[in-house]
Amino acid sequence: MTLALQAINLSKRFKKLKAVDNLNLEVPVGAVYGFLGPNGSGKSTTIRMMTDLIRPDSGEIIIDGLSVQKLHNKALINVGSFTERADFYKHLSAESNLKMLARMDGIQFSRIDEVLNRVKLAHRSTDKIKNYSQGMRQRLGIAQALLSNPKLLILDEPTNGLDPQGMKEVRELIGELSSEGITIFLSTHLLDEVQKICSHVGIIHHGKLVSAGSIHDLLKTSDLFVTEIRLSSIDNAVEILKKQPWIHRLEIKDDSIMVNVHSEKLPDLTELLVHNGCKVEAIIPRTSLEDLFLSKIHD
Amino acid sequence: MFGLVYNELLKITGRWRSYIGFIGIAVTMPFVLWGFSYGGDKINEDYISQIGDSFIVTGSVFNAFLVTYILMNALWIHIPFLITLAAGDAVAAEGAAGTFRITLTRSVSRIKILMAKLLATWIYTAALILFIAFLSLGVGSIWLGMGDLVVVDKGILIFDQSEAMIRMALSFTLAILIMWVVASLCFMFSSMVDNGIGPIIGSMFLIVIGYIVIAIPLDLFDKLEPFIFVTYFNVWLHAFKEPIPWGLIAKSLGVLTLYTAGFIGVSIAVFLKRDIKT
Repeated sequence: MTLALQAINLSKRFKKLKAVDNLNLEVPVGAVYGFLGPNGSGKSTTIRMMTDLIRPDSGEIIIDGLSVQKLHNKALINVGSFTERADFYKHLSAESNLKMLARMDGIQFSRIDEVLNRVKLAHRSTDKIKNYSQGMRQRLGIAQALLSNPKLLILDEPTNGLDPQGMKEVRELIGELSSEGITIFLSTHLLDEVQKICSHVGIIHHGKLVSAGSIHDLLKTSDLFVTEIRLSSIDNAVEILKKQPWIHRLEIKDDSIMVNVHSEKLPDLTELLVHNGCKVEAIIPRTSLEDLFLSKIHD
Repeated sequence: MFGLVYNELLKITGRWRSYIGFIGIAVTMPFVLWGFSYGGDKINEDYISQIGDSFIVTGSVFNAFLVTYILMNALWIHIPFLITLAAGDAVAAEGAAGTFRITLTRSVSRIKILMAKLLATWIYTAALILFIAFLSLGVGSIWLGMGDLVVVDKGILIFDQSEAMIRMALSFTLAILIMWVVASLCFMFSSMVDNGIGPIIGSMFLIVIGYIVIAIPLDLFDKLEPFIFVTYFNVWLHAFKEPIPWGLIAKSLGVLTLYTAGFIGVSIAVFLKRDIKT
């Protein structure tokens, strides 16, 4: 597996607070990697270390085989990033802001129109940033990240401040960029969003990576595999299921039963219900990323 | 590097604080020139009385050169404040605005970005001093005319117009170099914080303390004087001595260069290790 981004034994302490604690993380080339964690878990600190805004106490970030901490310029040459809020020089227009950044990146100004078109801001390119809405600033934040034709895009809460339509557009844009071969590292609070667009996920809690891998594999192997059981009559089934020690949680939802079982026990579940004369209409896996996330951070 | 410096100059010109110095000078200078033009008889008489025993003076000694010389003496303590208004924001303003997140994450080294900021601050400083020169010498020459420059210091020195022009050029060049020290000092403080006010206060505090130490005639302070950078801020006055004390100028510039290098060194050390949390 070729890695686009790698964190090796990354640690950072702010006075008494250990923000990131020996974090190891691997992002495969071409992945859309969702980076999840509750507030204060160390997400932003990790992302800032990835982009060399914060220096780690120990460990390092490797991008495309190069250490960000040792070879800042070379390691970040193919990286576009957007960290938390989109802050620009407010007295300048979007175009002027991007021209400044283009000068830093050493790229042609013609690229500015391309990225502004991509985030649907071309018609407001000469407006000063101080007249932009929060949503427009966020979109411009993504535009500046795309300016240097990056192979790796690091996005920290890119949908903050966007309305549902704006969020959908960003989601679609991420999908498009991913299909173009760009690796995307995405931090967000919106688990539903991650489940829709990410191929991989990493969950950080108290500065430690508590779970990581492809979403498909993680949900499949989760101890809290949520399953929806639809039956013609649920009363008998509830009584039977309640007696089973391997059913971790049981909840009646409308005409269905939601249970938490380990994935290995799914065949037993089907067999149990059928043997006890329950008329099973459907057994549907319903594990959500939210379930996985909550289980990991409450461990 | 040129592109980076250009970027920084755009940022400086976009901050309202950068214009305070220019506006202040643009308002003050014509007013002072008008004052000299219409109410300067007393000073003219004082000058003539000092040199009248040795020379026959016809007309007025007042001209753009003399007014510039007097003005520089008067404004010299205030100019650093105008410089710090822009230098204080050079690095700190980016921290406050959160714009480091889009600049320091690019494939340009921090040291290059910092040096571009410093160069832009120096260009701003030089522009401000040249603006003073333009108003006092340029506008002054139209208003008050040109002529010989009479300097009364520990004797009487009279420079003809062409020599006066050379001396003025030298003094303004030295003035720019001195103000680069002030700019570098403020820049150093600016690289440490996320608020442009702190560096202004910090720099002015050090400069005022320096002036106080120089002004108070205590043995202890006299011993400290050679080590205080403010001591060498009057180096521009050497341009109006005969012969020009090149040795003294070189020594002063040497000390000021050491201080500047120190300020820049600290800026680099701080900025390279600094975590950007805003």
